[in-house]
Amino acid sequence: MKEFHLDIPVEPPKELESLFLPIPREYVEDTYRKDEFLVLVGPQHPGSGHMRLIVRVKGDIIQEVIPDPGYVHRCVEKIAENRLYIQNIPLVERPSIMDSANFNLGYVRAIEAAMDIEVPERAKFIRTILAELCRIGTHLYDAAILAVFIGHTTGFMYPFGIRELICESLVRMTGARFTSSFIVPGGVRRDVDEKTLRWVYDATFAIEKRLKSFERIFIKNPTVIARLRDVGVLSKEEAIKFGVVGPFLRASGVEYDTRVVEPYEAYEELTWDIVTADEGDGYARFMVRVNEVSQSLSIIRQCITSMPDGSYISEQIGEVRGNFFDKFADIVLPAGEYTTLTEAARGTLLFTIVSDGESNVPYRMRIVSPGWLYLRGFMEALKGERLADLQAIYGSFGYFPPEADR
Amino acid sequence: MEEFTKFVRGGILGPIKKWGTKWSLWPVHLVTACCGAELAHAFACGYDGERIGALNYGIARQTNLIIVEGAITRKMARVLRITWEQMPDPKFVIVMGACGLNGGIFWNGYNLVKPSEVVPVEFFIPGCPPTPEALLRGIRQLQIKLDKGVAENSVSFSEVKAEKGKKPRILPRGVKKVSLAPCIVIAREKEVEWELGKNLCEKLKVLGRAVITARNRIALKVDPDKLRSSAMKLRDLGFDHVKSVNVVDAPNEGKFIVEYWISSYSVKELMPVLINLHSEISRREPKISSLSDIFPSADYLEREMQDLFGVEFVGNPWKGRFLLAPDAPEAPLRKDFKLQEEVYVGD
Ligand code: SF4
Repeated sequence: MKEFHLDIPVEPPKELESLFLPIPREYVEDTYRKDEFLVLVGPQHPGSGHMRLIVRVKGDIIQEVIPDPGYVHRCVEKIAENRLYIQNIPLVERPSIMDSANFNLGYVRAIEAAMDIEVPERAKFIRTILAELCRIGTHLYDAAILAVFIGHTTGFMYPFGIRELICESLVRMTGARFTSSFIVPGGVRRDVDEKTLRWVYDATFAIEKRLKSFERIFIKNPTVIARLRDVGVLSKEEAIKFGVVGPFLRASGVEYDTRVVEPYEAYEELTWDIVTADEGDGYARFMVRVNEVSQSLSIIRQCITSMPDGSYISEQIGEVRGNFFDKFADIVLPAGEYTTLTEAARGTLLFTIVSDGESNVPYRMRIVSPGWLYLRGFMEALKGERLADLQAIYGSFGYFPPEADR
Repeated sequence: MEEFTKFVRGGILGPIKKWGTKWSLWPVHLVTACCGAELAHAFACGYDGERIGALNYGIARQTNLIIVEGAITRKMARVLRITWEQMPDPKFVIVMGACGLNGGIFWNGYNLVKPSEVVPVEFFIPGCPPTPEALLRGIRQLQIKLDKGVAENSVSFSEVKAEKGKKPRILPRGVKKVSLAPCIVIAREKEVEWELGKNLCEKLKVLGRAVITARNRIALKVDPDKLRSSAMKLRDLGFDHVKSVNVVDAPNEGKFIVEYWISSYSVKELMPVLINLHSEISRREPKISSLSDIFPSADYLEREMQDLFGVEFVGNPWKGRFLLAPDAPEAPLRKDFKLQEEVYVGD
């Protein structure tokens, strides 16, 4: 395309100060001198959660994107250092509320690794069911937000309709729609009875049925495909280089799933496939998650049909009902550093707990959430795209700021 | 303008405006935190908030209501204020969630602000997160207020008399035990059956002290000036990304421990291995060379640590704040920055 040079002096906006940009003034001036523009997307934007993207465009082609995260930075790491180990369970769930079981699981497994607690089989299966329910819920949530991003209101309604079933299952199993704090060191809080499991089993079929109509309306919708195909492509090399995680990494053709690489809970005993795709574009990222939902449904069914008998909590802990406080208030981990990897819905979740061996609060707790890890890849995927595709790419990553900022 | 507002509110058009506002309370889309998930449920097909004339809307210029969904951070507080100022008359604010009420689970966090200190609030909806029903009740309550002119509580609880003869439960006391002279061990050796790990440790011995701390975990301690060369060596071995950058503050020993958790996506057998490459730097001069050019995935993680600990990563081009708000405290994750302590009833 031929470029024409127009000699119109364009100056950076006068009210630059009031925008609180985290970038130096020279950068802004340089942008304007080169006949480019800075477009500020957000913090108040139609997606879920808030973050600001400082987009440098030439024409309408994105040259560079600088993220301005931290709008939902809620100091989880610092607060965790000031609370008992057991009090931190609800805390670590909050960053990603629809994915609470996976976050809960990651944290609890770090404690179990430190204290060498063996978790009974039944508890493992119950935990797996919870984790997978949350995974489905999160993928549906992200699909709905993607639909909002590309202006498809019906596509928003369907997943949330299905999510009601997930919430209902969680309510029946744990008592809470979102933040159940059900997984505790050594197992789960209570046993889940046969009737409830039966209900969840049936619900998986109901979900599957509704997913079919969602597929017709949204997933296979030509307008959706047109918006997402070939936008925001991340090649395999790029995805590895920028440390992308989870379904977004698998969409670029890397077969990495923590559930396989470092199996935990019941995943080793069940049969399921890693879903991958090779394209690495927005639609591949979306489709990987759609296909993961069916894998998760099958995992839940397998868990329920082969649910072993036995105790729901480890013998090392003993009965927790009624004496929860006595059992858990005084946990002291042996000195050292313990790290667990968990496959949360949006990708690898890393928990590190450093204990000094004397306090009953963590000395340092580090959470690296999937959102924070793939943020860099997300920024790279935007480069070279058109400004109008920004929303579609944002949606295809399912970026959830509370999770990323912690 | 004043006169005009007065006329629209109180003149002959007053009742019409009131009626119109009541049935079109479209809240602006200001999903501030995790309560937003329940808000989305409230406006989706399960609960269908549109029945009562409320639906999320993208732009503040055409809305009359802000629903603050949970926590407001320092950065977000400014956004909330700006959004509120952009709304046309009349302006209403509903705050949902315990976080918005009083900080909730994050009450002593260094980055939280109470929404009621930023904008005037009409209704609070307690819960963590509140159910969609509760949210819709909040909107209904606002409509009733518009009708009647006074705000009412939507729930009242009957008083419960304390039962006699029951043994009073012992209230939990503050049981927190915090060591005054903590001793931090990052690399505690552990005996595990792990052939690959032993081989790797052999190979890494030349770089520094390498020990197996658990299955699939290796801790490798190097001198700060050897950090970069060690990282390059690891890259040559097939490790290609950083999963976490962590700083541990040890004020008693006057040092920071900077850790890089390095792993691999491209070599199959190295996939489960996590190498904790760490080195110690002095607390008085917290500087370490950045690995962001060797592992681009470490870039944002380093920026975050720069914010939270005030450790400078020499070579990372980013200067200034990334995650924290401009007015947030300096290096809040250092041990000498203390949060407010909770008070137990029994104490
Ligand atoms: S009240 Fe609870 S659910 Fe709502 S934002 Fe706060 S922590 Fe999240």
